[in-house]
Amino acid sequence: MDPSQAGALAFYILSALFFNSFVIIFVVTVLLAALDFWVVKNVSGRILVGLRWWNEINDLGESVWKFESLDQESLARMNKKDSWLFWWTLYITAVAWIVLGIFSLIRFQADYCLIVGVCLTLSIANIVGFTKCRKDAKKQFQQFASQTIASRVSSTIQSAFSVV
Amino acid sequence: MSRISDTIPLQASSQSDIDEIENLINSSMQSSTSTVLPARPPSPPRIPVSPSPFIQSNLPPPPAQPQHTTLQKPPSAVPSVPLPPLPPSTGNSSGGNIAPTGFGSLPNTLTEPVWDTVKRDLSRIVSNLKLVVFPNPYREDPGKALRDWDLWGPFFFIVFLGLTLSWSASVKKSEVFAVAFALLAAGAVILTLNVLLLGGQIIFFQSLSLLGYCLFPLDIGALICMLKDNVIIKLIVVFVTLAWSSWAAYPFMSSAVNPRRKALALYPVFLMYVSVGFLIIAID
Repeated sequence: MDPSQAGALAFYILSALFFNSFVIIFVVTVLLAALDFWVVKNVSGRILVGLRWWNEINDLGESVWKFESLDQESLARMNKKDSWLFWWTLYITAVAWIVLGIFSLIRFQADYCLIVGVCLTLSIANIVGFTKCRKDAKKQFQQFASQTIASRVSSTIQSAFSVV
Repeated sequence: MSRISDTIPLQASSQSDIDEIENLINSSMQSSTSTVLPARPPSPPRIPVSPSPFIQSNLPPPPAQPQHTTLQKPPSAVPSVPLPPLPPSTGNSSGGNIAPTGFGSLPNTLTEPVWDTVKRDLSRIVSNLKLVVFPNPYREDPGKALRDWDLWGPFFFIVFLGLTLSWSASVKKSEVFAVAFALLAAGAVILTLNVLLLGGQIIFFQSLSLLGYCLFPLDIGALICMLKDNVIIKLIVVFVTLAWSSWAAYPFMSSAVNPRRKALALYPVFLMYVSVGFLIIAID
């Protein structure tokens, strides 16, 4: 989570000191960013906030976004600090890439804008995916809670009638 | 069920979380338009469906037992359940991108060594490649062939092509790379939009993935051209690989659109590959 996101940013910023070749900077930065995307999506998301999202194509050929989360009991057990850290590093990474993008725009370096564009796309994809997942989880839980209450009420009523 | 849940010690949160997530995966896989199932559902017959590439291989499908005897889920329990044929290929992509990745039974993917994950991804890329690029008389309906789309493969191919072109160029190496990368990436996006705007039925990422995989022959062509500098050979090689790329892309693109608009959808694809071919020839 943190190391991989920081790694891509740090490499991009410091690379000008060590490498003369744009190609190497580009390839390594984008590789690190893609790696980081994978790590955040699959590992950090699961461990820190218990969320996961992915995309599938069902038999009808339609694209379906699937979200998944832990149930409320486990979510409550999750460390608050962990989830706070997760969300904040997600946002801060995106903001950092935007700032770097503005710098490269000011310097009229279109090729660096390309790197920033790719990395920004990856961070924004993660943010959108996890946000949707969290909203979905809340909605599902509310639905489930109301369903459980409804079923409990009806079973109570039934048992009351059966006693009578 | 409730008794078992009562006995979950609070400290073992990781293990029970993993169980819950695994249950969620399994049960969500069974409902068609499922989103999130927050609670532990009663264990239905567990079908180990893999949402995305990672799910395959060594993930043991949990046997139909109460969920919290998770400690007894060794990989050896796997073979008893036949994997459904739902995902046609093995392995998963994501990465890329970007590749959407999925997990199967989490304990194993969490604790498995990185090398296993990488191997799984690689096998998915290889299988996708085989489906798309190589002649395959038993290929099913082309529209369904790239169900398990992944963006890692296209990513590697585009970067490889850019690197090869940049390597062969004697001057302006970085510009060549940047131009090649931007051209291919933007071209793939625009071509997909073109198909969508023509009223075609194609999924955005699936088509991006497909166009990326069809670059593989051009990658080979660029590699050969880098090694041999003869113009005639370059022309022949580029021509052959161009034809191969277009041939590979043709069935997917044409099945996606209305037959009267086939040419409108295919022509830009061909044009893009021709321009990449020119780049390869023109680099000295």
